[in-house]
Amino acid sequence: MKTQKLVGGIAKYVVLALILLFLLFPIYWVLVTSFKTNMEAYRFPPTFLPEKPTIDAYISLFTKHNNFFVYYKNNFIVAGITALITTFLAILSGYALSRFHFAWNKWIIAALLSSQMFPVVSRMISLYDLLGRFKLINTHAGLIMALIAAMLPFTSMLMASFFDNVPKAIEEAALIDGAGRTQTLLQIVVPLVKPGMLAVGIYAFLMTWDDYLHAVTLIQNDALRTLSAGISMRYLGELSYDWSLINTISIVGMLPMVAVFFFFQKYMIKGLVAGAVKG
Amino acid sequence: MGVPAYPRVKKAPLKRKTGDRLFSLALLVPTVCMTVVFILIPVIDSVYKSFLDFKVKNIISGQPGVWNNFDNYIKLFQNNKLLPSIITTFSFVIVVVLLQFVLGMVLALILNSNIRFARVFRSIMMIPWVVPTVISALIWMWMFQPQYGLVKYLADIFTLGRVTSLGVLNNPSTALMGISIAALWKQIPLSTLLLLAGLQNVPDDMLEAATVDGANARIKFFKIVLPYMSSVIKITVSMAIIENFKQFPLVWTMTGGGPDNATTTLAVLSYREAFVSNNLGSGAAVTTVWMLLMIVVIFVYNRLMRTESMD
Repeated sequence: MKTQKLVGGIAKYVVLALILLFLLFPIYWVLVTSFKTNMEAYRFPPTFLPEKPTIDAYISLFTKHNNFFVYYKNNFIVAGITALITTFLAILSGYALSRFHFAWNKWIIAALLSSQMFPVVSRMISLYDLLGRFKLINTHAGLIMALIAAMLPFTSMLMASFFDNVPKAIEEAALIDGAGRTQTLLQIVVPLVKPGMLAVGIYAFLMTWDDYLHAVTLIQNDALRTLSAGISMRYLGELSYDWSLINTISIVGMLPMVAVFFFFQKYMIKGLVAGAVKG
Repeated sequence: MGVPAYPRVKKAPLKRKTGDRLFSLALLVPTVCMTVVFILIPVIDSVYKSFLDFKVKNIISGQPGVWNNFDNYIKLFQNNKLLPSIITTFSFVIVVVLLQFVLGMVLALILNSNIRFARVFRSIMMIPWVVPTVISALIWMWMFQPQYGLVKYLADIFTLGRVTSLGVLNNPSTALMGISIAALWKQIPLSTLLLLAGLQNVPDDMLEAATVDGANARIKFFKIVLPYMSSVIKITVSMAIIENFKQFPLVWTMTGGGPDNATTTLAVLSYREAFVSNNLGSGAAVTTVWMLLMIVVIFVYNRLMRTESMD
């Protein structure tokens, strides 16, 4: 019985180690390769630690491949603005969905839930035409609007689940004290859902940072491209890949998201769990 | 005669309901407008366009599309494009969703048993989830690189040097598996996180009572843990189904749908028809079929889950 338990305990750690190895080793591998010389990166069998660690690939990214930083900057602009506006709108709609139960709520929730299912390509086929008519194709404004719309269904529901946890008595008291509805919402209720705002904002930022399809169809002007679209258009040739450059791009491209996640993980984890498990 | 004195009615109580209604409506208007204008109308419009002869040149010249008697659909069937990509999509979704659930569940159970550093593991295992999809694709392309890749090196060691070249993504019979591995890598973390939250909702006293009654781990898992988690499982799996059904950037970056169309999912086919061949009508036909399939799958899935939780 005792040995059985011991074997079980060891098996548990072995399985844990294997899954974590699968999840984390690829990142290590890319990181290590980014510090290798091109000669060493293309050696077989590969080396597990760089023999002569070098930051040449990073220097060449900064000096020779400035386009990358144009995409990078654009991605920050697009993801940042999208996250801010999405959070603001999700506060409004989330509050309405959580507090007021009118007949139309059912329909709005149904629309929001089904909106998450539609394929992006199907929207793009139509938006390519519609945005073109309003001169919004090839503009960050058009891209941002399409992305906000894509983010709103999930974030509204998520925000509503945070408002559900705020006791209604607080608003009743404020209303009795003579505060208006808008004032109550903005000055009394919103400060209570700051963790929710952070969760929603970071989620929207993360998802927008990851966007590929919106940017690749709605933006054709290279100077306006965002990160994922820019990388795939410029650096992924059909025949040959410059792997040390690509590994460096991978590291620099994922860095902001990893940093944001670790910095705000408390809110992120709480938010994701609340949104998914409740919504 | 004076003016009849109307009793002064306090405005607030009477109009409270109307005020709430207007306020709620005002709060919802921006979100509803954005959703209608940028999601619902485009989706309906794309279904409509799927019945038209509508190409990119129509947009450039401002010519409206012309009704073409289901020609987009007929051509997709006749050229034998649609059916293989439906099969590819379903194989991809089924394999990834099942493995994602099983591995996510195993990892969640381990992290939930009182092991050391569980919180640290929980946060570092989330890293793949925050890596942008296109970059995930690049990471795995480097792992699978036919000449210098790590996977080739591992195969080389385990087969004692018999494998001289291993292009997982260049071989039609393994390419989809390669993409599935990358998809699992990116999505296992979120499944684990959600399942872990579900596990923490299982009441401890129930488990203790079962232990006292002499139930073994297997019985406890199937009779107590799983039933308590049914709603979390349902959501986790349905999120995984939708995510993988919609997956595009991973496949497009890693293989572009090749080799020999072995990884052409509905997402790849629709994008290629609409934005590479510039035939928007044909692309819209693919997405319309795709949406219908997705609705059927989610409907069937909800039905299955409902009957299961009734037991």
